[in-house]
Amino acid sequence: MKKMKWFASTMLASSMIIGLMATAGCSPKKDTLNLYSWADNFDEQVIKDFEKQFDVNINYDVFANNEDLLAKLKAGGSNYDVIQPSDYMVATMIKQDLLEPLNKENIPNWSNISDRFKNQPYDPDNKYSVVYTTGVTGIAYNKKYVKGDINSWADLWKPEYKDKVLLLDDAREVIGMSLKKNGFSNSTTNEDEIKKAVDDIKQLLPSVLAFDTDNIKQKMIAEEGYIGTVWSGDAAYIAAQNPDVAYVVPKEGGTIWSDNYAIPKGTKHKELAEKFINYMLDPQVSAKNYESIGYSDPNDKAKEFHSQEYLANTMINLSDDEIARTEWLMDVGKTLQVYDRYWTEIKSGRE
Amino acid sequence: MRKSKWLVSPVVLWLSIFLILPMAIVVVISFLQRDEFGNLIYQFTLDNYARFFDSLYMGVYWDTLVLSISTTVLCLLISYPLAYYIANAGATRQKIWLLLITVPFWINFLIRTYAWVLLLRSQGVVNSVLMNIGIIDEPLKMLYTKGAVLLGMVYTFIPFMVLPIYVALEQMDKKLLEAASDLGATRWNAFRLITLPQTKSGIMTGSVLVFVSTAGMYVVTDILGGAKSAMLSNIIQTQFLGARDWPFGSALSVIFAITSLVMIFLFNMALRSRHERAKEGRA
Amino acid sequence: MKQKTNPLLSIHSYIVIAFIYLPVLMILIFSFNTSRISSKWEGFTFKWYGSLFSNRYVMDALMNSLTIAITSTIIATVLGTIAAIALRNALKKSKTVLGMLYLPIVVPDIIMGLSLLLLFSQFHFPLGKWTIIIAHVTFSISYVYVIVASRISGMGKQLEEAAQDLGASPWQTFRHITLPAIWPGVLAGAIMAFTLSIDDFMISFFVSGPNSTTLPIYIYGLVKRGISPEINALCTIMIFVSVGLILLAQWLQNKGNRGKKASTLPF
Repeated sequence: MKKMKWFASTMLASSMIIGLMATAGCSPKKDTLNLYSWADNFDEQVIKDFEKQFDVNINYDVFANNEDLLAKLKAGGSNYDVIQPSDYMVATMIKQDLLEPLNKENIPNWSNISDRFKNQPYDPDNKYSVVYTTGVTGIAYNKKYVKGDINSWADLWKPEYKDKVLLLDDAREVIGMSLKKNGFSNSTTNEDEIKKAVDDIKQLLPSVLAFDTDNIKQKMIAEEGYIGTVWSGDAAYIAAQNPDVAYVVPKEGGTIWSDNYAIPKGTKHKELAEKFINYMLDPQVSAKNYESIGYSDPNDKAKEFHSQEYLANTMINLSDDEIARTEWLMDVGKTLQVYDRYWTEIKSGRE
Repeated sequence: MRKSKWLVSPVVLWLSIFLILPMAIVVVISFLQRDEFGNLIYQFTLDNYARFFDSLYMGVYWDTLVLSISTTVLCLLISYPLAYYIANAGATRQKIWLLLITVPFWINFLIRTYAWVLLLRSQGVVNSVLMNIGIIDEPLKMLYTKGAVLLGMVYTFIPFMVLPIYVALEQMDKKLLEAASDLGATRWNAFRLITLPQTKSGIMTGSVLVFVSTAGMYVVTDILGGAKSAMLSNIIQTQFLGARDWPFGSALSVIFAITSLVMIFLFNMALRSRHERAKEGRA
Repeated sequence: MKQKTNPLLSIHSYIVIAFIYLPVLMILIFSFNTSRISSKWEGFTFKWYGSLFSNRYVMDALMNSLTIAITSTIIATVLGTIAAIALRNALKKSKTVLGMLYLPIVVPDIIMGLSLLLLFSQFHFPLGKWTIIIAHVTFSISYVYVIVASRISGMGKQLEEAAQDLGASPWQTFRHITLPAIWPGVLAGAIMAFTLSIDDFMISFFVSGPNSTTLPIYIYGLVKRGISPEINALCTIMIFVSVGLILLAQWLQNKGNRGKKASTLPF
């Protein structure tokens, strides 16, 4: 019996100690900004600077993908002041009435953003969102194993890359890629076009090593895969670790995406949230932040504060020509069910 | 002792609020429709259930069952001898063994699974070792296969099988075994006729836990299988996330939960009737 | 009284342990890797162990995870054990109650998480550590119940009846006869509950609120940028601390128990 008491008291004591430690860190009274974003998405020092300058606390919580974020907001789990959805998710959230319109007067630094990334189709007047970073889906390949010029999505289908092709683990990205290869829009609602694209993907399946979104970087760096569909920002990361890896935006064009700031409905700190967005758009802060996280900086005024090395990276700073070849993924409405069923077919190998 | 039955009321209360109520919401959603943005439309329909009887989704359900059954059988084969060994060790060693087996599962699931990637990939540790000893010349393709998924599942659920079987074995009356061996029974016969029947409840509990948990696991198929296969859990997940089809996802979950519950009850009934018969025989 | 252990059995057990610890070994090795991405070996360093402790996000997440796991384990173990004992004597077990107890095991995680979130937000229950604890208790009860119940089902009633015949109160019978007899089951259930809680992502994700990010939620979020070796370092420390505490507790207990009959309890 003694042992039981001993066990119970140890458990109790340790839980109390931990409870105390957990509450000890909270300092009361300060305003708090609840930030909900991808992990490691900001330079830590920049966040600390903001806390100091405005005498507030930032609670930085993380989600792992847009769909998780949407499901959570829809089910009522908001309480957040700033969120960072991607482009198509901004459009969806606007349609579902989940976002608060921004007061641009509180975000004067918005004008620093490059015109290329203002007023995009997913939020035509930037009423609800401000761009944070952008990228393009293209082809990354390892020059050690992939010889010759790569400039088309069709190159993925070459038989010599059997078992070495990597694809993003996302229905819209993969089917969209095949749509582009066939010369269609990546957001088509024409079921014949979708069918044609899906049939092509099924041809490609024997070549596919794996579907992966999050860890495709590691697979390219470790040379598990030779060629694959990769986001430009990830490509920059891969190339920094493995110089044999090159990147191209295929001639048929690719999908462009962005992550954005937005303020969810029901926030209690709207002004503070806008203050935060504005602060992040300050040229110097911006340069410091993006140098550290290594994503593309849409801030034109920040250019002069960036390092030469950062500006010279062609995977972070895509050319106007490359951007011109790209297309945003649009909400496909009811057709999403068609995409989803085909995706299940592709994954399960059944019909 | 009949009066002890009221003791169950706090649990019933807890589960009614935090389980039955939310589940009722899910059941309701499974009969609803949705608009093109994924918003719920409050109109009754059976379509979400009808959609399951598409050969595609039935096929996926079948694949899921096959994987779950293989995982359960393998886990049982690996775990029973281990639990037997632990239950027969000295008191101190029992404790150490039990915890040694569970502690690795306290560290993060993703991290553990990625560690398997490092081991299994074509230029990974296992291939390098095999090639260095000269057993193979070319790296074996182990990762992103069905085999890797099975391995990952078995690995993940070993403790789910070991713990209940250990609990049953530890309780066994070992004098019976001694008596059997005094009476000249072989070890195998003693095991078959005495140990196995007495630990049946542990085996059943472990099997149910492993079977159902395997069917609900999606990360292993994604990471070790290269996301190249679709299990029921992956599809349910997608309905709530990417496909924004909560009603269909809810319907799939309801189907899954009900078929699993039915299976568990069939297991339990088969077990109980044997058990009861055995008891009567003894009396 | 002890059987001779079959050597094949020992060999099998050591192989299984090796199998279980193989990935752990990889985690340990890569926690010393210089490279930030954990897939290529580039050199030996201790730096991740240093930076781990100055990373406030990781430390907060760890604290949240431990608080939640310990609290929910205690509550779930008590409730699950009570349920198992209470249902033991019900000759015809109520199918409804049994179904209820098995439900959390058969409901997919995402459904549990989302439906609880719908419930909490309906009643304006503020999301945070407590909602996560409630969710974890809800699914852990079942696991504790099935393990304890399977222990009880194999137990005779003779001792308890004898105790009551000798005038022991129900509480005394419970405390001195029933509880010791089911204790290994209770502990196995608690271990299971703790393991499930500390490693749960999906359910925690949905019912978490500001400032209640747990370790699994944090690590899932990291995946997009690549999991840093800091996390490997953290996992390594967790393993060593857990194993160390177990051995220490064992040693202390053996010291206190010296001379007494060796116990068959797992702790």
